[in-house]
Order: sequence, then C-alpha cells, then structure tokens
Amino acid sequence: MSTCDRAEALRDYAFDELPAGERPEMEQHIAVCGDCAAELDQLRVTTAVLRVLPDREIPQRIAFVSDKVFQPSALSRFFGGFWNSAARLGFASACVLAVALIVSAYRPAPADVSKQINDAVAQAVARIRQEDAQMLAASETKHDREHRILMEAVDVLQERRNVDILTSAEGQ
Amino acid sequence: MIFRAVEDGDLISRVRKGDVEAFNLLVSRWEKRVFNYLLRLTGNPDDSLDLSQDVFLKAYQNIRKLDDTARFGPWLFRIAHNETYSHFRKRRPEVDNGDETLIEREPARGPAPDLTIAVTAALDRLTPEQREAVVLKVYEGFKFDEMAQILGTPVSTIKSRLYTALDLLKTELAPTSSRGNDRGIR
Repeated sequence: MSTCDRAEALRDYAFDELPAGERPEMEQHIAVCGDCAAELDQLRVTTAVLRVLPDREIPQRIAFVSDKVFQPSALSRFFGGFWNSAARLGFASACVLAVALIVSAYRPAPADVSKQINDAVAQAVARIRQEDAQMLAASETKHDREHRILMEAVDVLQERRNVDILTSAEGQ
Repeated sequence: MIFRAVEDGDLISRVRKGDVEAFNLLVSRWEKRVFNYLLRLTGNPDDSLDLSQDVFLKAYQNIRKLDDTARFGPWLFRIAHNETYSHFRKRRPEVDNGDETLIEREPARGPAPDLTIAVTAALDRLTPEQREAVVLKVYEGFKFDEMAQILGTPVSTIKSRLYTALDLLKTELAPTSSRGNDRGIR
C-alpha cells in the first residue's frame, strides 16, 4: 500500500471516481511519485485478475406472463393514473362544471314560482300606476292653486294700475 | 425517420400502464447482471436463480414507487441486495455458527481453472460486506453514489470496505497477479 498522503485520491483516480478537474494534477503526481505509480500498477493487476472470473449465463430465462394475480386491478390502475395526472384531473373538473351549467340552464322553472313572479310583477305595476295617479292629482291641485294665486295677484295689480291712472287723470 | 434506442425509462412508463411485455424486455436487459451479482454473493446458482426471480417480481410489483427512472439499475440492485440478506438470515441457522465460509461455493468456469479457483477462494475470504463492495464496483461497475443507494451506506464506508478488500485481495492474489494479465482497471 502506498504511504503517500494522496493514496486515497489515487484509488479514486484508478476507479474513475476522481473529479475531472483533479485528474490532470493526479496524473502529474503519479509521474513523479514512485509509490503511487507502483500502487496504481498493483491495483490494475489485482482488478484485472478479479475480472478473470467470467460472467455466467443465467440457467433459465426469466419472463412474466400477464396474470391478473400480479396486476393491479383496473380500478386501481384508473385511479392511480387519474390522481397522478394533473391534466386529467383538470379536464374532469371542467367536464363536471360544464354539466352543472347545462343542467341549470335547461331545467324548467317550477309552475308555482312562475305564478308568484307574475303576481309580484302585477302588484308592482298596480302600485306604480296608483302612485302615478296620486302624483298627477297632486300636481293638478298644486297647479290650480298656483293659477288662482297668480290670477289674484294679476287682479290686485290691475286694480292698483287703475287707481294710479285715475289719480294721474284727476291731477291733470 | 429518426431511430432512437428504447431507454429503460420508456419501458418503465409502459410497464406502469400495465404492459407486461415491456417488463419482460427490461428483465432481458438486466437478468444476467442480477443473476451474476447474486451468484457472487451466495455462491449457489440455484439460490441465485430463485432470488433473481423474486427480485424481478418485487421490481414489477413496486415499479410505481421508483421516483427516478434513470436510476432503475441501482434501484433494482437495492432490491437484490435486500433479497440476498433476507435469504442469508433465513438460512443462517442451517449453515452457520459464525463461520460464513461454510457455504460451499462452486468455482466459476473460465479459461484457466486454477486462476478462477484462486480468485473465488480469495473473494470467499472477504467479509460479505467487503465482497459485495468488490462485486458492485469491479464486476458491475457502479459509481460510489449508486453503491450508496444500493447498500444504504455512506460513500465513505463503501470506499473503506472496497479499499480494505482490495488490499487483502492484492496479498491473496499476489503470486497469481505476478503472472501478468494486466488489462487495465477500466
């Protein structure tokens, strides 16, 4: 074993585990360090000897057949796929919303609700017409009163003018 | 027309949709590696084949739990590691009173029987943890971070086990190594 303080880095280098940036420096070190050069050679020989042990062929190929025992159920596959997909979840939500809108748009209103609405509208119309009539009557009354006051004022002014005319005529 | 190799990730997506044939394709890609990993740990071809079948069955049943499909290999070997140690625990009372070497290993068939016997014997003298580190690194070529995922152990511990094992193997195989056969480490 190398007594050099870079022995572990040397082994990392030998197994291609030294960061790429440190490899050139290590190569320069190996070129000048006899211990590390000898250690690297021994490591290479040892691993080469280990690799003499060949890989064996598997005596029997492994294969699986489609068997329901080993498969997740169709339901669990569906829900597994459903919850794992944001797109599917979003599409399903949009479908539910669309169905709710269509159902609410085409559902006929109950008969008693229509009658209630018509009664309410008729009551409102009657109330508004009554208010209009009251306002018209009040307006006519007010107009008559103002007209009478105005005519009285005209009469007063006419009388004053007549008095002034008579007074000036007497003076001449 | 563009040709693209079917990645493990593509096959895993199909398996998750219930495609058993896609899983059989995954099995065919990985079964030899898994079998040899198990064989080097157990030393018994029959046990290794049974364990391989269990490993792939568990992988199929749990494939939805795999978060990163790019790390299918380490995930699969993690299952294999767990199955192996579960197997060791089950058979321990029969074969072991504290001595792991009582498990008889069948020497691998290779070009030079004396060399393969020497290597098999040297690997047998390692502790199971050291042997597994050597198998994952030297034979299966996993990176340290992948080994950490497989073994559930920090990288520093794995490096310690591997480098200690290599020191022992270097001594054990010294006469053999001196015969040459330097293919390079990678």
